[in-house]
Amino acid sequence: MIRLQNIEKVYRTDTVETLAIDNITLDIAKGEFLSIMGPSGCGKSTLLNIIGLLDEPSKGSIRIDDQDTSRFSDQQMAKFRNQKLGFIFQSYHLINDLQVLDNVELPLLYRTSSAKERRQLATEALEKVGLSNRLKHFPNQLSGGQRQRVAIARAIVGRPQIILADEPTGNLDSAMGNEIMDILINLNKNDGTTIIMVTHDENMAHKTHRLVRLFDGSQVQ
Amino acid sequence: MIKHLFTLIWNKRKHNVLFLSEILISFLVIFAVFSMFVFYYLNYVKPSGFEYERVWSISYNNPLKTKDKDTLATFYKQVRSTLTALPQIEELSFSSHNYPYSNSISTSGFSYKDKKLIGVNFFQTDEDYCKVLGINVIEGRWFKKEDGLMKNNYMIINASLKKAMFGNETAIGKYTGEDKDENRSLIIGVIDDVKTTGDYWPAGQSMYKMVDSGAYEWLGIMLLKVSKDADAAFESRLSKILAKAIPNSNIEIKHLTETRESKNSDTVIPVIICSIIAGFLIINVALGLFGVLWYNINQRRGEIGLRRAIGASGSSISSQLVAESMLLATLSLIVGFFFAIQFPLLSVFNVPPQVYLIALLMAIAFIYLLVIVCSLYPGRQAAAIHPAIALHEE
Repeated sequence: MIRLQNIEKVYRTDTVETLAIDNITLDIAKGEFLSIMGPSGCGKSTLLNIIGLLDEPSKGSIRIDDQDTSRFSDQQMAKFRNQKLGFIFQSYHLINDLQVLDNVELPLLYRTSSAKERRQLATEALEKVGLSNRLKHFPNQLSGGQRQRVAIARAIVGRPQIILADEPTGNLDSAMGNEIMDILINLNKNDGTTIIMVTHDENMAHKTHRLVRLFDGSQVQ
Repeated sequence: MIKHLFTLIWNKRKHNVLFLSEILISFLVIFAVFSMFVFYYLNYVKPSGFEYERVWSISYNNPLKTKDKDTLATFYKQVRSTLTALPQIEELSFSSHNYPYSNSISTSGFSYKDKKLIGVNFFQTDEDYCKVLGINVIEGRWFKKEDGLMKNNYMIINASLKKAMFGNETAIGKYTGEDKDENRSLIIGVIDDVKTTGDYWPAGQSMYKMVDSGAYEWLGIMLLKVSKDADAAFESRLSKILAKAIPNSNIEIKHLTETRESKNSDTVIPVIICSIIAGFLIINVALGLFGVLWYNINQRRGEIGLRRAIGASGSSISSQLVAESMLLATLSLIVGFFFAIQFPLLSVFNVPPQVYLIALLMAIAFIYLLVIVCSLYPGRQAAAIHPAIALHEE
């Protein structure tokens, strides 16, 4: 499903060169739930961004769904992200000026779908995360756990094959974190969605199929 | 997408008040300036209706104390003969003080059956006025010498007055005023509109009457059509001849080309001043819009990063920001349009409605252009925001 080969990421300034990812090769199977762990600054989020085509590697290649993403144009990359990938962030990244339903509809706006279809899919996604009674609320009227559930609904509304979650439980207490984790596990089990999750939490990581540990940009496990 | 953007704008309306106000105020100012431009331009492109080249005006005071018509007529006949004997003078006409480009105006009422008009320009001239100024007669004829001798009360009107009073019917042979009115005039001719107040002002509605010999007592203007070889030396000689012919009189010779320039300057200079002020305002508004959009983009880096992550390309981010600005501008323009449309509907300042309508369309187009220009660069900068960095910042 996802094949990373000899991925290297170097950040350069005028005077300093920082190696964020050092020669990582990784295969992730379809339907796998993978967690990435490691200390702060070890390159977890950078790796996730590279897999999510939000950042480009300095060296190496990525194939997702048998497609070489290095040859994608900006338009193709955007289309690929929209159709194949779903993102969940630690800080939710909801648009506070839009209602919950409008937030969830967002990915569908970059596709050709009717307003009715968008509304239906967004409502279904919110039902899946147990927020069908909060459609007209604004994000700042919701708790942290509810906001993250909205973010999950937004990630799954376009029925992507892969979900990339960057510390989805990082801002939540353990009870809320477990709720979110249960939703992700169900998505992986029931829908066969491939999930790659960056986390600091060992307990959460052990709930996934496989754990990858990074240290100073290199894979150590 | 438009509905989505509209929802976003509506939900952020409080944040957008500054942008909306800026656009509304600039639209109203630009509408006013464009109305002025269009009004002057539409008048400017219309023909002046007469020839001002090689036409000199001579102002004088009547030196004779007598009110006797025959004495006056004889005196001014002598003056006319003296001047027309000069080879450089092709035509000569006596006129009331409101000759073209002068600072005098004379207006009167005009009525025909039930229709009445006020503020109609009223000119008193003689049979040679038309020849001196090269005025084109559209219908009927200009005054003849005999018209002044006979008891007929003849009148000539211009095309605008004819259109206002008679529409498509002929005006020739019609009497002004009511049937019982003893002083009613017979219309004998219709001439082209003559722009007497400058190139940038409308000719307005005008009527012309022939002066009788008694008018020499107060007439103070002679108009001369001079030949091409009438130079400064001739002007000096003419001045001396006039001083002799009309003794004890303040004589002043002016060239209509110069009075025209002076008259036009009276219009153009305020327009230039207004344009400079409006130009500075537009620059300020443009910088303001640019700043507001730039600020908005910096405030929305997280949102932009998110949109990139969920499927927006760089160009669609750029287009979205331009489209948002255009929608905001549209909201302001709807409010501005409501105010601006009152001008043509109520014919404010007696300006033709088409002037306001053209200015309205131009102002709308200008505002959209301004908004596009001001939002293109911030839009491009937004498109260049690296999603991974923007999302990390949040």
